[in-house]
Amino acid sequence: MTPPKSPRRVRRSTLAPYLFLAPFFAMFAVFWVYPIAYSFVLSFLNTRRRPWTFDPDFNWGRLVQDEFFWNALQNTMIILVVQVPLMLAFATLLAVAFGSDLLKAKGFFRFAFFAPLVLGAVPYSAVFRLIFNEQYGILNFGLTSIGLPSVPWLFESTPALITIMIAMTWRWTGYNAIILLSGLQSIPLALYEAAKIDGAGPLQRFFRITIPMLRPVLLFTFVLSTIGTLQLFTEPWLITNTGPGNATETLVTYLYKQGFRSFNFGYASAIAYTVAIIAAIFSLLQIRLVGGREVDR
Amino acid sequence: MKRIAALTIALLLAGMASAQTLTVWVWDINKPALESTIASFQEMHPGAEVVVEDLGNQNVYDRGLAGCAAGGFDMPDVYLVENNEAQVFWSQFPDCFTDLRTLGGEELLPLFPDFKWAELTEGDAIFAVPYDSGPTAIFYRTDLYEQAGIDPTSIQTWADFREAGTALNTTFDGTVKMGAIGKGQDDEWFRMLANQAGCFYFDEAGTEITVNQPGCVSAMETMKDLWDASVLHPAGWVEQIQFLQNDAQASSFFGSWYGGTLTAEMPAEQAGSWGVYLTPALEPGGVRASNLGGSALAIPASSDNPELAYDFVVNALADEENQLEILFEYGLTPSLLSLQGNPALNQGVDFFGGQAIWQDILGTLGDVPAVSGTQFFQEARNVMIVVVNDYLDGNYASAQEALDQAAQQIAASTGLPIAD
Amino acid sequence: MSRTRLLQSIALHAVMLPLALLFLLPIVWMLIAATLPNNEILAAPPTLLPGVHLAENWRELNNDLNFTRAVVNSVGISIIFTVTATLVAAMSGYAFAKFRFAGRGILFTIVIAALTIPFEVRAIPQYLLVARDLGLGNTWWAIILPWLAYPLGVFFMRQNMLSVPSDLLEAARIDGAGEMRIFAQIVLPIMRPALAAVAIVLFLFQWNDYFWPLLILSQKDAYTIPVALGTLVGLTRVSWGGIMVGTAIATLPFLILFLWLQRYFIAGITAGAIKD
Repeated sequence: MTPPKSPRRVRRSTLAPYLFLAPFFAMFAVFWVYPIAYSFVLSFLNTRRRPWTFDPDFNWGRLVQDEFFWNALQNTMIILVVQVPLMLAFATLLAVAFGSDLLKAKGFFRFAFFAPLVLGAVPYSAVFRLIFNEQYGILNFGLTSIGLPSVPWLFESTPALITIMIAMTWRWTGYNAIILLSGLQSIPLALYEAAKIDGAGPLQRFFRITIPMLRPVLLFTFVLSTIGTLQLFTEPWLITNTGPGNATETLVTYLYKQGFRSFNFGYASAIAYTVAIIAAIFSLLQIRLVGGREVDR
Repeated sequence: MKRIAALTIALLLAGMASAQTLTVWVWDINKPALESTIASFQEMHPGAEVVVEDLGNQNVYDRGLAGCAAGGFDMPDVYLVENNEAQVFWSQFPDCFTDLRTLGGEELLPLFPDFKWAELTEGDAIFAVPYDSGPTAIFYRTDLYEQAGIDPTSIQTWADFREAGTALNTTFDGTVKMGAIGKGQDDEWFRMLANQAGCFYFDEAGTEITVNQPGCVSAMETMKDLWDASVLHPAGWVEQIQFLQNDAQASSFFGSWYGGTLTAEMPAEQAGSWGVYLTPALEPGGVRASNLGGSALAIPASSDNPELAYDFVVNALADEENQLEILFEYGLTPSLLSLQGNPALNQGVDFFGGQAIWQDILGTLGDVPAVSGTQFFQEARNVMIVVVNDYLDGNYASAQEALDQAAQQIAASTGLPIAD
Repeated sequence: MSRTRLLQSIALHAVMLPLALLFLLPIVWMLIAATLPNNEILAAPPTLLPGVHLAENWRELNNDLNFTRAVVNSVGISIIFTVTATLVAAMSGYAFAKFRFAGRGILFTIVIAALTIPFEVRAIPQYLLVARDLGLGNTWWAIILPWLAYPLGVFFMRQNMLSVPSDLLEAARIDGAGEMRIFAQIVLPIMRPALAAVAIVLFLFQWNDYFWPLLILSQKDAYTIPVALGTLVGLTRVSWGGIMVGTAIATLPFLILFLWLQRYFIAGITAGAIKD
């Protein structure tokens, strides 16, 4: 790995970078900064009754003691800790397969695993709800035909959470595998050759060369998946209905219910800020733990 | 001068053109249903145009929220709202909709049942006119009942319903269930049964939490009794349709609008083998009526033509002929009280084997206890979905304990006090 | 190929092929469902052979919904958005990767922080701004403008731009080329694979985006495909057939496009993430 290449020479024009950034930050100021600031103010208002009044404890105080919020946080964390690593492990193996010259018809395989991403949310979730149906779904049909018990996927807590994780894995593994593939392809072949000469087997080569060399890209996918999971909405909202009970409630489904079902914008804003803060902490942690210099400097 | 005159005329014409066009936002079947009333409306107002737009259920709500939040921006002239979601609008955005009293709306009060008005009025103001109702009933498969030797007329109470379910389980070896419950998905069963007992999340004024009162407790116990006897499938909306399509469920407990769903979704060979009977009572001789769902039409305050919009609404909803057509053509149950006992209701419905189901169902309307969804409906519902699920799973010692817990949680999230 | 390698290859295919089919199954089923009548779509066991209901499902979809118009809107919006947003992202990415300037660290941190903010937090204020203050409701611009600042695009582009050789830029400057010209004539051409990758990501996002268009579009003629499909989900009835046909129409061209362009996509998507 080469050390980060910073621009070495001082620019003549000090204005140029700002001009290049201008379009982005102009749009950013209008469509991000303003709404985000507005929501920040909202999170301190009691928006339960007209007129809205300033009452910082109303939303933030409720957040601390709200069992439903903690449950949503817990579910989100479980998915984060279980699904993200498993999916990325799976994606790494897929990427290795994609990159292997043992595999024929690579185009087809990459296509097959990437295709889920193109499907819109409504049909995607409808299809999954049908697949996971206890009595009539294809999945239980498959399980029982090989002698396994049928599982009440949508009507018991743990299976419902697993359903969500399977659906997310289906949708995002190929995408991550392709990102990882691009990382794999930039590992110098000479490293593998040298390792072979030293007598390293395929497993050793995988753990001693592939994984360490992939670290920056893995980190990148980790950060993206973490942020994506913290903002998880579609799957629990449309596939499991956030149930049974609130077994698959996530931070953002809860936020959505508060803001757009109950019209409680103040509380919804407080939840949103919590999501953002957690996402920021996780991203920082991951960057620190997995070795940050690759991502930025 | 000439130009100014021309401009004035153009403006006047433009004004008149818009003055004559009403936009109505609705979802699914309500579009053709309300369109069927346009002709008679135009007899009163020749030249008036009505555009009914189907935005989808979710979209209507979300767009209404956004429009009201923007201070009444880009709203239609007539807005369809679900009853139990309505109060959120009135309390959060009281200026977003026209108080119909200003248009003479008090004339409508005696025409519709009280339970409909409870959620459509706020203090003195009348914000919407009752459209369809969802008086509950049991929809059942005559052929499956017959095979199990069940006589629907003998099902008077929920205990009878459970007995019939046990008979069904024996006959079909447990593959065909008596009904389905959205366990952990929705709390519709709780709301229907509690409504029957005159209980709800909140009191009628919407100022206190009453979810742990005796009526609600008996609703919970009834559900548990049925659930423990294994006569119900756990099923969400889609699963229930699948069970019914596959002859794996012999009856369905829902609001009357479910008749339309059945007609549309069931395979052709089931037509004619459906029937309807009244909601069983919680105890012998008890109330056999409750309500689930239903909607109303409101007039956004931003409408340029509130009077015209009002006339449209009244013509569509308070006119017997229009309401009968909406009932028979589109399966939407009128809330109009004067229709009860109307001979037209004796008409048999083919899908239901020629049974005159509407006479029976509409007859229960006056018995439905009034409740108030309040602006906290959704939060209380979220709590109850969880508590009902846990209670059915046996995680509470008693229904009272479960509901006390629910009341605490609802209090925490709404700030309302729990009634004694 | 040696015997061992042949066996390894067979084993690999034996694992990959069923997995690939498993991943394709829901999409194939969606295509089949597009040809089935409503009640067969929910039938159990599922119908796995195409039916003859395609034309009727299409009629249900296009019947007073004007789905054709929604396709036009979606294509127009997605293309304008993708081209503009990719350019905006490329410019910012270039500035972050190849210039030193006061505030660079802070500004880049802001971009990264923006990634972590759920859209729902912006929805209402943004609605007030776009619909009421700017008066853009029901226009293409209402959908295009708010997302032109797409932080993930900037992040992608910045990572990719790090690999642009600084010597090349310097040489061009010595030759007297202006900054804009350097960007347009040197940087963009080298970055073509990365631009393609970012463009695909942006296009996919806009093509499937639902919640914001739903809020800002109230007129049928302005609907995008996902919003149009959303109207088929009624309260007591869901038009599955219509949804499936609409999805097939929305998905197929894109799948074909991906099969065709995947080389670019794969080459570019995170090239920069590892090269820095």
